[in-house]
Formats: sequence, C-alpha cells, structure tokens
Amino acid sequence: MVARASDSRDTGPAVAAGDRWRWFRRQAFWLVAPALLLLVVCLGLPLAIVTLRSFSEPQWGWQNYAWFFGTPVNLTVLQRTFVISAWVTLACVIAGYPYAYVMTVVGPKMRLVLILCVLVPFWVSGVVRTLAWVILLQDSGVINSVIRGIGLGPVKLIRTQTGVVIGMAQVLLPFMILPLYSVMKAIDLRLLQAARSLGASPARAFAQVYLPLSLPGVYAGAIIVFILALGFYITPALLGGPRSTMLSTLIQNQVLSLLNWGRGGAMGVVLLIATFVLLALAAPLSRQPHKTGSKRQ
Amino acid sequence: MKTRIGQGIAFGLLMITTAALAQSKPVAGEVAEGSLKDKTLTFVSYGGIYQDGQIAALKEFVDKSGVKLLSDGPTEISKLQAQVESGNVTWDVVDTGDFAPYVYCGKLFQKLDLSKIDTSNIPEGQISECSVPAMNYGVVLMYNTEKYKDNPPKSWKDFFDIEKFPGSRALEGSGDLSGGMIEQALLAAGGSVENMTVADIDKAVEKVKSLGPDTIFWKTGADSQQLAESGEADMIAMWTGRAMTAVKNGAKYTPVWQDWLVVMDQMTIPMGVKDADAAHALINAYVGKSAQETLAKTTSYTPIHKDAKPEVDEATAAFMTNTPDKLKLGYHQNIKFWVKNFEVANEKWNALMAGN
Repeated sequence: MVARASDSRDTGPAVAAGDRWRWFRRQAFWLVAPALLLLVVCLGLPLAIVTLRSFSEPQWGWQNYAWFFGTPVNLTVLQRTFVISAWVTLACVIAGYPYAYVMTVVGPKMRLVLILCVLVPFWVSGVVRTLAWVILLQDSGVINSVIRGIGLGPVKLIRTQTGVVIGMAQVLLPFMILPLYSVMKAIDLRLLQAARSLGASPARAFAQVYLPLSLPGVYAGAIIVFILALGFYITPALLGGPRSTMLSTLIQNQVLSLLNWGRGGAMGVVLLIATFVLLALAAPLSRQPHKTGSKRQ
Repeated sequence: MKTRIGQGIAFGLLMITTAALAQSKPVAGEVAEGSLKDKTLTFVSYGGIYQDGQIAALKEFVDKSGVKLLSDGPTEISKLQAQVESGNVTWDVVDTGDFAPYVYCGKLFQKLDLSKIDTSNIPEGQISECSVPAMNYGVVLMYNTEKYKDNPPKSWKDFFDIEKFPGSRALEGSGDLSGGMIEQALLAAGGSVENMTVADIDKAVEKVKSLGPDTIFWKTGADSQQLAESGEADMIAMWTGRAMTAVKNGAKYTPVWQDWLVVMDQMTIPMGVKDADAAHALINAYVGKSAQETLAKTTSYTPIHKDAKPEVDEATAAFMTNTPDKLKLGYHQNIKFWVKNFEVANEKWNALMAGN
C-alpha cells in the first residue's frame, strides 16, 4: 500500500520540475530523521540489547533457546498466542468491514457519531475496560442473565478463549476500522452503479468490484490487529483461564518474577521471528495485482 | 569557684547523656527532631490504598525529621535490578513480597543494621537478614454459606476434596509463588511437608489439577473480590483484606481460619542507596506503634507492632490476623525450601497457570 502511494507521487511533479525537485527530494530524507532517530533509540537499541541478553545470560550460548524449545508449555502457549490472535483478527474483519462501509455512506453528522463510538473506548483505561468485560461475561453476568431470560442454558464465556477473543476484538476494533475506512472512502461508488448497469447482480458487483478495491484496507487492518494481538497481556490475563494464557504472560513471569532476562529475551525474539515469518508468508497475498483498481485522487 | 565546678559537672553530665543518647538503642516510631532536614527519601510500594496508608503512617516521621518523602512504584524487582546494576539507585526503601528479600539478599537488598531499627515489638520469626515485615495478612479459605449450609468445609483438606465438597474452586494465580498453598495441596494429596523435595511440588500441582477444568486462578485482588461478590466460585482462597471487603459488600461467604496462610510484605533497603542511615531511620519509624495503628486503620492490614491497637470497625477486626486465637491457627510456609527452589517451583507453578 505504502509503496503504491509513493509511486503515484513519483510520476507527474518530479518530471515537470526537473533537477530542482530531485534535489528537494534528496533533502526531504532529513524530514524523517527525527522519527528514525526515535525508532533507533527507543526500539532498535532495546531490541538489540534484549537479543544480546538472550544469548549472553547466564552464559554465552544457545541455552535459553534450547530451554524454550525443550519446554512443552512454551510451545503450547506460542501456538495458542498465534491461534487467539488469528481469531481476534477474523472477528475484527467481520465486525469492522460492514461498520467501515456504513461510515462511508452516511452523512457527516452520523459519521462523526460512528467515529466517536469507535474511539471512545480508546480513552478508557485498558484495565477498567477489561473489568467491565468481566462483569458482562461472567457466569452470573449481564449476557448470561439475558440468555437465561430467553430460556437457554448458561454459556461459559469468562475464562474461556471465546471470552478472551471477544474482549481483545473490542479493544482492537478501531485498528481495523480506521484503515478500512480510509481505503473505502476513496472507492468511487459510481463504479458499483456502472457494474449494475452492465448487468451484474448486487452480490457480484460487490464481490468483483467493491471487495477487491477494499482489500488493501483489510490487509492493512488485519496486519495491525494481528501484530498488536500477539503482544496482549492484560485482557487475556483477566478474561482468560489457564487455557488462554498468552506468551506475553510467560515473558512477564520470567522477567519480572524471576529476573531471568535471558529466557525472557529469548521468548521475545522467538515471538518476533515467528511473526516475521508469518508476515512474509502472508505478503504475496497482499501483493495481488488489482486489474480492476482505479487510480485514486 | 563552687558554681564554676558545679557548672563544669553539669556540662560534663550533659555531654555524657548526649553521647549516650546518640549511641543508645533506637525506639520504634521515634526519630530525632530535624535530623533528616534537607534530605530526600523515596519510598516504593504497590500503590493504591495500601501505599496511601503507608505514607499516612509515615507522616509523623516526615513532620518531625524534616525529610522530604517521595513516593514511587509499583514495586518491580526487575526495575530495582536495573537500578542496582547501573549503580544509580533512586529507590531508598522498597516494600516487596514475601520471598524477594530472601532470594536477593546481599544481591539487590542490603543486610539491615538491626542496631538502627527497634525490632523488639515485631512478631517472632518475621525478621530476615535483609528485611523486616511491612504488615501481615493472610490467605484464608472463604466458602459460600448458601452452598455449604449443613456441611461447611473446615480445612484446606476439604478445599482439595471435591468428592465430599462438590463445587467450583478459585485460588491465587497472580504469578507470584504461593508456597503455603502448594504445601497445603501436598498435605491434601497425602504427602508430608517435612523434608519436602522438588518432586513433591509435582505431586501438589497434580492435586490442584484434580480440582477440575473449571478451577479459577484469579489474577488480582479485585478479581478475587469480584468472584465472591458475584458468587462465581464456591470456595475461594483469598487475601484477608479482599475477603473482608467482599463480606462488607454483602458476599455470603465465611472464612475458615484453620491453617490460614501467613503472608507478609517486607520492608527492604536496596544495595547502593545514597543514605542508608536515613533509610534505616524511615523503617524504624514505620514499625512504631502509632505508625502501625495508622496503617491498620487506613488499609485494614494487620499491624506488625505487638501492642498496636488500631480503632477499626467490627468487620475489619474480624479479619485482623494478630489476635491470639488466630495466631495459633496460622500456617507458616517453609520459606527456606521455597527460597532454595525458587526458580524450579516458579516454573512448575507457572506451567500450571499456563494450562499445561
């Protein structure tokens, strides 16, 4: 997505203004310097230290990685972390896609209301929000009272993976909706009318015209949600049971309770590499050429 | 001439008493007027009502000594480790959990100079080389009185017996090791806590697992309180403070005091603090009678001064753990064993918490 956006900026002005523009562009690199510096100092350096410590503590070697892969609970939890994150991503796509679409078709006032509905939960502390979910999801909670009220048996929600997925999806939904909305609002709805006028059914017009055009937003949102979900800590701890513990909890135990920076570091590095591998595998998907795509702007 | 000699003797006497006073044993709760003027101390604890209560307990110390008291937290051993390793220690007195001062004594925490702290009123067996207690509390078995009307549980053995006492259970899963809980599980499994071995931990873990898949491991005190108030679990192993609040809020639960687990927070001084004497003075003031009474009144935790008589309401008094009858029923974990096997015990306990 990013690459394409800059492509469209390349053509046009650069040719028109010639050398001078090229000089500007070279200078423009310095505009990203502050952000780059921040990343190096606040992300790159600590990451390097963590990686180093995963090899150097307590002695130099692969011991911490050997421990990680030699302990069954770590592998179970690593796998579970990816599975839960995938479910959360799916839930966010299903809930976020229609929501973002509605945001593009309503009037400006309604749109403001919808945006606020997405953002307000952001302004509430994560712990408070999670405890609210505890009250909603627990066996004697609101949801179960309603279910019982209509004559169905109690459903186990709290301390299950379902509960964790629901809680996490709510927290992460804005990260899905906002990229989706920014892509969808640029889609020219007249294309759908054109498709209809050429004889496509509404479903077909959606599947062949609208959906492909909105996919970049889905990918962007899904990647953000998935990566953020991998590192979740408070929500799974409070809404889940032992069977929904995620890797961040184990890392926290190693580092904060046992001061075992080596093992904690190794767990972090494994999670990071596993994430990169997965993203690399998913990358070809998002690079699908969209022949039906229109030039935006 | 006579008056001169008289004055000389008086002066001499004065000097001797002053010198004697300066070297005399400290009295818990006392600090010399203005003795820490222009000095700053940073006190670190777990925040919330607890830390507010601790600061309130130290008010007299602050007013009298003239020290500037800063408050920070929450306590995280990893942060303290970073400070000690980098040689820039800004935490002067740190409130920690049970085990930390034993596990990291001489590494992160300095050995306390007990000639500077009056420990004569602290309950026996609670002082270690690197710590004095900050307060006492307990883990107590709370059961739902509506569920177990005619046949209430009487001990941890009943807690671990789901055949005789069917129903759901909740125990602490905050991530900190609860040695006492593991020992009770082992006892319930028919094991012995004398000459415990690492293999016994597995036995205890199996016993906890036998409670079934619906067993709840609560993560925070608020979490456990919520379980009691909503009646989600039939028996809950709870911190006394939270048990009290839940009962005050109408939870229909009753405590079983048999073998309640004795737990405490610890007061420590990190290695490499800038003014160890001032830090000792703070602790000496903190363990004083009136400071402990203030602490108990504001936090409902049990004071660690034997003579402290905090004015608290009946419900709070019911959960104070320092009455003679309760002290007799308390269960002390084998700290030596857990400190020695800290890492392996944590690993096994955490694996249980992670559903494996």
